Amino acid sequence: MGSPSETDHLHMVAFLDRLTLGLQHAAAPVIEDAAFAGLRGFMAEIAGARARDGFYPSATAAFVMSFKTAFIPILSAEYSGSPERCQSEIKTLGDIVDQLAFLTFDAYATAREQVITRQNQAMLVLSTPTLRIWNQVVMMPLVGIIDTRRAQDIMEQLLMAISRDEAKVAILDVTAVPIIDTRVALHLTKVVAAARLLGAEVIVTGFSPEAAQTLVKLDIDLSRIRTRGTLRAGLAEALRFLGLRVGAIT
Amino acid sequence: MTEETKFAFSIHQEYDVYHAQQRALDFARDTGFRRAEIYRLATVVTELCNNLVFHTQRGGLFTMRLQHRSGRWGIELTVEDDGPGILDLDLAMSDGFSTVHGLGSGLPGSRRLMDEFHIESKPGVGTKVIAWLRQ
Repeated sequence: MGSPSETDHLHMVAFLDRLTLGLQHAAAPVIEDAAFAGLRGFMAEIAGARARDGFYPSATAAFVMSFKTAFIPILSAEYSGSPERCQSEIKTLGDIVDQLAFLTFDAYATAREQVITRQNQAMLVLSTPTLRIWNQVVMMPLVGIIDTRRAQDIMEQLLMAISRDEAKVAILDVTAVPIIDTRVALHLTKVVAAARLLGAEVIVTGFSPEAAQTLVKLDIDLSRIRTRGTLRAGLAEALRFLGLRVGAIT
Repeated sequence: MTEETKFAFSIHQEYDVYHAQQRALDFARDTGFRRAEIYRLATVVTELCNNLVFHTQRGGLFTMRLQHRSGRWGIELTVEDDGPGILDLDLAMSDGFSTVHGLGSGLPGSRRLMDEFHIESKPGVGTKVIAWLRQ
């Protein structure tokens, strides 16, 4: 390790302030004592910040443990006349530091969980765009896996788009869904049923030939769902449904 | 090819299922399965692993390996749990029956998709499915 940075130095000073304060007021030298609340909060904050900065928890724990090596010579000098007192003081302070090290792991885990949750939420928002591709036609390309949570999200977003744009047709494109299993099929049938209640017809596009073969073998009844092989064919069907068609300019 | 290659995944939550699904797609592709078979296999993996998530409290174990059976190479899937078990296996293997408001096609459909399919279950002890798809 190189020489400590300015931030590290500030952290150490703040850490020592809170540690001394805690030790002066604590009834017993355990980290759960109310007197150590300031220290605990500070450590959680540091560990969290370091987790977000990409430090491993072991690096943060090493930072905490380094106090052990620092205070042992100081205590030895201070209590040079009383080896027993020296031993007990080293033990007390050592225990506190050990408990703090454990605390940093917890704080690290919590901070990482928060990062993961936020990323999931961000992905969920990105993953279900609804596009108005023609008057009264909305389209939603589905990309990736469809678990329970995404299925709910797809349902909400699509129904919202249908009602917002007064759509008569909604196209759901599943080209980029890796596997259409019975749960995904069930989710699709539910979306279709709900959209019908809002007066919109759903066209599902992009089943691959492999998906079609597998769905037939699974014996899933999708006959009540309008499907088209490609997005292009789906759009043509949507326009036909609205009594429109695309023609050459003559 | 060798029978040594084996993958084992513990399945508890939905994202475990999609991890297993992805690995099954990769494994079948790498071992030279055709597109339709790759899709079939990954579908069965998804169906069986979904059962672990939605029918048991503690999930279960999914394993996949290359296996030689009656002179052919294939992939063997094993899905095992210590969940509630299936009370009426014949009913569970029939189309349209579901205890969780599903479509009821998962187990019977999986049997149709695989070349060999064996299921055993004891209420209160657990369920084990062994299935095999030839290359």
